[in-house]
Order: sequence, then C-alpha cells, then structure tokens
Amino acid sequence: MEVYIAGKGIISAIGLNVDETLQSLRAGKSGIGNQTNLSGRRDNHLPTGEIKLSNAELATMAGLSAEYSRTALLSMIAAKEAMADSGIHINGLRTGFISATTVGGMDKTEQFMTSYIRDGEFKNIEQVLYHDSGAATELVAEPLGIKHFVSTISTACSSSANSIMYAARLIKTGVLDVAIAGGADAMSLFTLSGFNALMILDENYCTPYDENRKGLNLGEGAGYVVLVSEKVAERLLKAPTVKLTGYANANDAFHQTASSPEGKGNYLAMQGALKMSGLETTAIDYINLHGTGTANNDLSEGMAIQRIFGEQVPKSSSTKAFTGHTLGACGGIEAIFSIMAIEQKMIFPNLRLKTPMKELSFAPVTELMEGVEVKNVLSNSFGFGGNCSSLIFSKVN
Amino acid sequence: MELYIKGIGCISPQLTYDNSVFLPEIKKHSGNRMMCIEPDYAPYFEAGSLRRMSRVVKFSAGAALIALKDSGVTQLDAITTGTGYGLLENSEKFLKSMAESTGPVLSPTSFIQSTHNTVGATIALITGCNAHNNTFSHKGFSFESALIDTRLLAVEGATNVLVGAHDEISEKTFALMEKLHVFRNNEDAEIKAYEKGGNGVVAGEGAAFFILSATKGEGDYGILVDNAIFYNPESTIEVKELIEEFLERNKVGLENIDVVISGINGDAKSDILSHEINHLLFAHQTIVLFKHLCGEYMTASSFGFWLAAKMLIAQQIPESVILKNRHRRPGYILLYNVFQNDHSVMLLKAC
Amino acid sequence: MDELMATLKKEIFEQLNLHHVKPEDIGYDQPLFGEGLGLDSIDALELIVLLQQKYGIKLANPAEGPKIFYSIKTMAEYITDHKKQ
Repeated sequence: MEVYIAGKGIISAIGLNVDETLQSLRAGKSGIGNQTNLSGRRDNHLPTGEIKLSNAELATMAGLSAEYSRTALLSMIAAKEAMADSGIHINGLRTGFISATTVGGMDKTEQFMTSYIRDGEFKNIEQVLYHDSGAATELVAEPLGIKHFVSTISTACSSSANSIMYAARLIKTGVLDVAIAGGADAMSLFTLSGFNALMILDENYCTPYDENRKGLNLGEGAGYVVLVSEKVAERLLKAPTVKLTGYANANDAFHQTASSPEGKGNYLAMQGALKMSGLETTAIDYINLHGTGTANNDLSEGMAIQRIFGEQVPKSSSTKAFTGHTLGACGGIEAIFSIMAIEQKMIFPNLRLKTPMKELSFAPVTELMEGVEVKNVLSNSFGFGGNCSSLIFSKVN
Repeated sequence: MELYIKGIGCISPQLTYDNSVFLPEIKKHSGNRMMCIEPDYAPYFEAGSLRRMSRVVKFSAGAALIALKDSGVTQLDAITTGTGYGLLENSEKFLKSMAESTGPVLSPTSFIQSTHNTVGATIALITGCNAHNNTFSHKGFSFESALIDTRLLAVEGATNVLVGAHDEISEKTFALMEKLHVFRNNEDAEIKAYEKGGNGVVAGEGAAFFILSATKGEGDYGILVDNAIFYNPESTIEVKELIEEFLERNKVGLENIDVVISGINGDAKSDILSHEINHLLFAHQTIVLFKHLCGEYMTASSFGFWLAAKMLIAQQIPESVILKNRHRRPGYILLYNVFQNDHSVMLLKAC
Repeated sequence: MDELMATLKKEIFEQLNLHHVKPEDIGYDQPLFGEGLGLDSIDALELIVLLQQKYGIKLANPAEGPKIFYSIKTMAEYITDHKKQ
C-alpha cells in the first residue's frame, strides 16, 4: 500500500503560501530578521524567523477569530491551502486531521500569566481557554469539515514529522482514506526565553553546519501535506507526483536535551526510513537536514549521516537558515521543501555556510541547484527528549 | 488485532499503585479536587535521577515502571503516551521566572522539563529504549490516540508496547479554571450524586500505564479488542450509530456487552449525552462509573482502562463503582468516554 | 575564602536540588562533573544562572564552564577574582 501526496500548504518567515515560499527559496532570501511582534519584551534582541503579519492579519487570512492562538491561525492558513491544493472533496472519504505543535496556545497564555503572576489579577482570562495542544487542532478541524478523526502529536522538534508518519500509518492500515498532516508553532516568549536559557540561540543569523556555528534562531510557521491512499490517488484529477516511501521514529535515550555524540537515535531513524523504503543509500538524491545550527545537533546528525552514507553522502542542506527553527512545525515545513525539491528539480542552498565542519567529510550545498533530477529525499527532524524521526519522499514514476 | 494486557501501573487519587489490591477502600477527597496518592519512589528510581523530576514526571514514570515490572517484560518495542495538558507545573515555573527575573538568563531546568514528551523521554532514558517513542496531546483523545498508535504498532510487528497517559493538577492552571467556574465541590463522592449531577466537575489527575502485547501469556489481565474516536458528533443518534458500527466491526452484539464503563463526570450539562446513550443502548448492562474516584481530566479514560483491566482479571465489579444493574460478570467491557467534543470507545474482554 | 566556599556549597545544593547526597560528603576540591558528583550540561547552565543571580557575574561563553565549575574551590576562586574587578 502506497501513500501519496495530494496537496501541500505552508506558511513561514519566507512566504505566506507555497508560491511565495518557492520564490524565496529560489532567490536565496532568508526570513531571519529583527523581531517586531514581540518587541519591547524579554529577549527581544534575538533574531528570529518571524512572519511579519499581526494576529489580526493572520486571522483574516485564516477566516478565524483573532482571539485564537497564533498557532491555530497559522495552522488554519496552511491546512486550508493544502486542502485546496489537493482538490479533494472529503464527502464520503474517511478523512482525518493529524496536527502537531509544541507551544499550542502558549503565546496567549504567557500574556495572561505574566500579568497574573505579577499582580495576581485575572485579566483577560479568556486568553487561556485554548492553551492545550489539541485546542488549536480542533479550532482548525471544524472549519475544514473534519468529522471523527483528529489527533495532535507533541514530541518537541520532531512533532510534525511524527504526525505525517502517524497519518501514513493510518492510511496504510485502512483506518483513513485521506489525512491532512503536519504541524504548526507560533513564536512565543516562552520558547524564546527557554532556548535562551539553554544558551543555544545565536545572537546573529544562524549558520547551520558551519564550523563556527553559534546556535539556532527560532522561527514560526505551519506546514501540512494531504496524504491519500492508492485508491483515492487514482481518482484525483491532478495525479500525485510524490509519495511517502519511508519513515521511522526512534529515541536516542541519551539525555533530556543533548544528542548522543555518535547520533544513535538519528542513525536509527534514518536507517529505519531507508529500510522501509527499500532504497539503497545511493538512491537518496538530497537530505533536508535537521541542521539547527547548534554545536551538538549538527555534529550528531552529521556523524550519523556519515555512518550511514560513508564516502557517498548525498547533496544536503539545512533550510533553517531560511526559516529559523520552527520547532513543532519544522517536520511539516521541511516535508514541503522536500516535496518541492522533487517537483521543481531543485536543491536549496544551506545559506550563510562559510567554513565546513572539520569533523565531517561532507558539506551541505551552498548554492541553489536547478534542473537536477531529485527522485528521493530524506528529511530529518530531531528533538528534545531524544525524539528522532526521518521521512523519505519519492518521485512517482 | 487483539492485544493482551500484560502489566498495569496506576497512580491516582485512589490507592491504586499497589497491584496486589483492588480498591480496598475509597479515599474521599474533600474540596474541588482530587490529588494523587503517591508511593515512595525510592525503589523505582536511582536517587540522583529524581532531583529534576516534577511531581507529574515522578508519578507518571513511576506508574510506567510499576507496569513494566508487573508485566515481567524486559524488552519494549515502543513507548507511546498521551497527555492533555502536558507538564503544567514546570511550564508555570518557567513562566514565573520569565515574569519575575530581570537577569539576562533564566534557569533552564523547568523549561527543559516542560515539553509534552518529557515523560515518554524519561521512560526511554530509564529503560534505555531506542525504539518508537510518541507523545499525543489532544484533549480527550490523548490516551485514545496512544492506544490507536499501539494497535498500529502491533499490526506493524511490535510485540510489547508501553502505553499510558498522564495529567496533573497544577496550582496556577487550577486557580484559573476555578475562576472560570469549571469546578464544583466534592461534597458527596457517592456514586448516586453522579447520576443526578451538579454544576461543574471535580478536578482530577493521575497516570496509568500498561504493557500491551501481541502475544498471549499466563496471567494476562484481559484483552483490548479495539478502540475508536469520534470527534464532534452532531447528536446522540449519531453517537449511538457510531457505537453500533464499532461493535459490528468487532462482531460483538450489544447483548454480549456485560459492563459499560461510562465517563459520566457529574456535571449535569456535559453528562446529558452519556445518560441518553446509557438509556438508548445499555438498559440491561451493568453501568460502572469511575470519575468519582479519580476526578475529571483530559486523560481520565486511562483510569477507566485501568479499572477495566482490574475487573477483567478479578472477574469482579467493586460495589463502589456500580451505578446500576449489578447482575453482570465482566466478560465484555465497553468504555465510553466524553470530554467536550471528544467521544471515545474502548472494547475489552476477559482472557 | 572558606566562608564563600561554604555558602557556595549550600547554594549549589539548592540550585541543583541535590537531595541524594549529603553536603558533608562533597569536598571543596572534589570534581563536580563526570565521575565526581555526576553533574551534566544542564547543571552547568544552572550554575551559570547561580553566578548571575547571586554574584552578579555574567558568564557569556558556556565553553568556559568546565574550568570554572571544576570544583567548589575553582568556582569560589573565579567569584573572588571577578568580584574584585
């Protein structure tokens, strides 16, 4: 049983939809910059990959109330685009919405909590109503017309890779015919201050896989794919050109925040995905790296890649220099990049990489490559708690 | 695919962490919340590893380790968990430091331990389990999704899966919900009070973990036959039809169901549908409640699952949980839970 | 110096929640990390916060950590040096 990609939707610092995103990727235009939405507050000097729209503007795009969390608004915009792109009418099809997030409604909660903690007053208490992760999913599921099957995964930075995987498994086992899967995370002071407390934020624009990398920049956004069964794929007006051929979820079981030096979990995730796809390592044309820009992640991931691919490491890049690290959304966003690489015959550059890491025998691509045959893409998403997931997207012959 | 329940571990507002007893006496909690009765964790954790764990991490990882030990299973093929609210206490602690600290850098530990996957990750660390590790966080489908994940894993070849769920009552979130009039006082914890219902629910918390296995063995608690989720059904009739379809898909007639574990939470308004379903479908079954024991929370159904497992192995229904029709022995048990728009069913049977 | 080390020990135990060891079992020269007290990278960050909150010393580069946080004594020396400046 194959699982096909019937539609995609994305919003991030480099574009409000698939077309804008492609233009930015092609132009090498990064979305990292100074913060405006969180200005005047703690840690606001740190650069981020922020979407330069207010909640009110996003709400208009989403067709939802601006009172909802930014996460829900971003989720709605990308999920709606993905559904429209697929052209699917869900009537009569068992359709699920599988989302992912790490912050949920924290952007609203933190506003309330800060004043509540300081003066003990319950001001604008309605802000906390949609705090939990599932709330954003249900706010989006209803207007999408989803009945019965919804879920949300929260495994830190691998969240939306896991939601795509879960959706594919539900389709393969015949539970669902169609699934909208991916994830969303809004910028919040909570995550910004948290990553700053871990001292892994770069005070300048991040430089993933550079010898002199200083850490990551946070980003925000949402990315969703519409996954369909073979049966549904056959009936689509627009025949799918990409399918999901491999995936695996593993745990590093090494430390709450740090990756093992040899990247054991990373290795197991990539290896598991390759095994499922039945592909030789030489068949992978492009790796969309997790590549956060922290000393620890890039080294562990790089070591695991070397262990698997040996001397023949495929072309690779981290697109987080474009978008920032979008946490629970990055698996979904980078799934879209992986699919675009196949569709557009492109490999996106790892921006700002000057000095390749001395520990590694390979270095990511630094210039845009166009007109290249990309048949199979490996996309990595690794997170806190040792959660490591890899997906493989392949061109439909 | 049917899954065998090999081990259970439950830390809840009742004395449930000791698997050798079955609700020996009911702990009455006064006020509007029920907090966990916790064991001494020293036998379960290395001394040094406890120092960073918040209360929910202790009682959740503790419940998981009790289940693991109970099962005798040494090799896990996956760990999958559910949590509605995640790690509230640590989130609040970090928010507090954000609000109060003026220094450039904040203490990171509470942030690190605020992610929803902290418990699943902690169990992976303790057991050295590199396998599939998932955390669902979706309101009343958090535990349910972890169960679906488990059933998929079994179809895909996994033998032993650790599955469970957890939620905690934390000071600030509790105060907010209290302000929003979500809660009522637990003046009368008697089960009859839950039939009539009042205004609001009694807050609860807890963790329940299970080892579910694809292989049958001596001393299994019972069998998970199937589970399903129904988001946002339009009417009682739709729920009735969905439950009927669910039973049909499992080739189990309504008359085969002996016990119905109902998620009635004592809030008259939110219980309307559950009462109607009991009336329409389960007039002759023994109706069992559980939220008068554990309170209401997003993953309370995992306590209901624990109750089902205990009843199946004991072949006995404690007096303290029976709402009506006390004549049945538990052969087939159907759990029907409602949390806001999230309706779910689980079908279990005796070995 | 002895007074500072005694205070520091108390503060470290509090900040890192070290209930599982007795303060008197830890010598001022004893390594805090690795084979010593078994602290890890998160503890190093907590110690950076401690320096900042209690002594007003900002350690910008976490890479300096291992040297400064080797033992209670090295930490006390670092505090003494940097408070004078």
